[in-house]
Amino acid sequence: MSVMGQPPFDAVVATHHAEIHRYLLRTTARASEAEDLAQETFLRAYRAYRTLTPDANVRAWLFAIATNLTRNHFRAEGRRRRAHAEVRASRAAAVADGPEHAALYNEARARVEALVARLPLKQRLAFVLRRIHDLDYDTIARSLDCSSESARAHVFQALRKIRVSLDGRELPHQE
Amino acid sequence: MSRTPSQCLEIEPALAATATGDGDAAEAARVETHVRACAPCRAAFARYRDLGRAVAAWGRAPETPPDAARARLESRLANLRARTLLYRVFSSPLGDLLIARSEDGVSLVEYLAGRDLRHSRLLRAAGVEALEDGAEVEVLYRELLEYLEHKRTRLEWPLDLRLARSDFHRRVLEATAGIPYGAVMSYAGVACEIGKPAAVRAVAQALRWNPLPIVVPCHRVVGASGALTGYAGARVALKQRLLAVEGVPAVRGRDDYRIPRDAMYVRTPGSAEYCLPSCTWLERVEQPQRIVRFGSRASAEAAGLAPCTDCRPDLHPLARS
Repeated sequence: MSVMGQPPFDAVVATHHAEIHRYLLRTTARASEAEDLAQETFLRAYRAYRTLTPDANVRAWLFAIATNLTRNHFRAEGRRRRAHAEVRASRAAAVADGPEHAALYNEARARVEALVARLPLKQRLAFVLRRIHDLDYDTIARSLDCSSESARAHVFQALRKIRVSLDGRELPHQE
Repeated sequence: MSRTPSQCLEIEPALAATATGDGDAAEAARVETHVRACAPCRAAFARYRDLGRAVAAWGRAPETPPDAARARLESRLANLRARTLLYRVFSSPLGDLLIARSEDGVSLVEYLAGRDLRHSRLLRAAGVEALEDGAEVEVLYRELLEYLEHKRTRLEWPLDLRLARSDFHRRVLEATAGIPYGAVMSYAGVACEIGKPAAVRAVAQALRWNPLPIVVPCHRVVGASGALTGYAGARVALKQRLLAVEGVPAVRGRDDYRIPRDAMYVRTPGSAEYCLPSCTWLERVEQPQRIVRFGSRASAEAAGLAPCTDCRPDLHPLARS
């Protein structure tokens, strides 16, 4: 069964699964949650795929579904806190344990990751969508049910918080 | 922080964006002018720039999902796909019709009372994921309309009998699917065809729950006396109409329609010929229940039958009632 105007759904999975999975890893920071949410994203997408218009941006659409699922997932505040506590614990352990993580480069990366995990959800989602996956602000705004200006403000607030948290610590220079 | 001048506060978003490579040209020019004159903001710019690089490094970190995650997704999708029936409700001369298909073939044709799906078998069937998709079933609908308008005598659709309730049910449907266009057989005949000659009532019950009316032509199965007896619940008039489309006459009796058995051509079991109902061959038939009757010579010949060389229906055609 093919849907006119859009590639078969198998091709959608092949093209986008890895990126959506990475996005969810970065926003949930837990492998099992990320995998579950990625699966749910594609199962939902499969159900709705045939209602998509031929000119729809499939990638942006998948990000919107994944974002929406993530928000539902974290909606319960207690759950969010628990998740964050675990993220911090697991990351700290990883940095302490792995000798490769001792490298300055990796340490900075791990620190960014830990700080991103501590951001409020909307800021975290907007930040990762913009800075890592390079989605435009209009798309981010639609995913987060907010204005384009708010999306921009979320990304800035995220950057500012990370910078403030890092102040006093040197970030290693690379490249 | 508390002593940051308002200008510095105001420009910080643009500064952060520019330093991390996310600003536009106008912003960049403004930031450059400001930074040249403001040492603290110059320092902030440098920190944002380093932060931007650390974020980019984090973004590049190869957290590729394991192949196993992809495989688990593929397997859930395959399962979902196999369970999916695409459907749409259409208007037809017979009323609202729901048509649903799977990847394997058409799986449900249902007479609906209005567009309300709440009582549809589609939603009650276990293990079925129903998705509305007109495009996938539109072509089936068009062919069905042509069939009802007598512009087509075959619906050559791959069938998916997943909504059959049992193996017995499936066999009844398969046997019924073999009754040619423009012909009728009795419930007892279908029972014989599947090797269960005593299961006449069970056959009738199975056809009452035919998930594919019209396509699996249960309207071509009638009572032994020729009475239409029943169709999709209490829709006997529809059965009469479908038979009329195919050239099988049915006359209205006191409380039922009845096909004129004596005014129809006959095929005996296993024969490649069709006979007049008066043919002497018929007296020697072993399983008379399995007789198939045709409303016209044309239908018999379209089913690949030749006129009997004894009774010569080609030379002595039945008078049309």
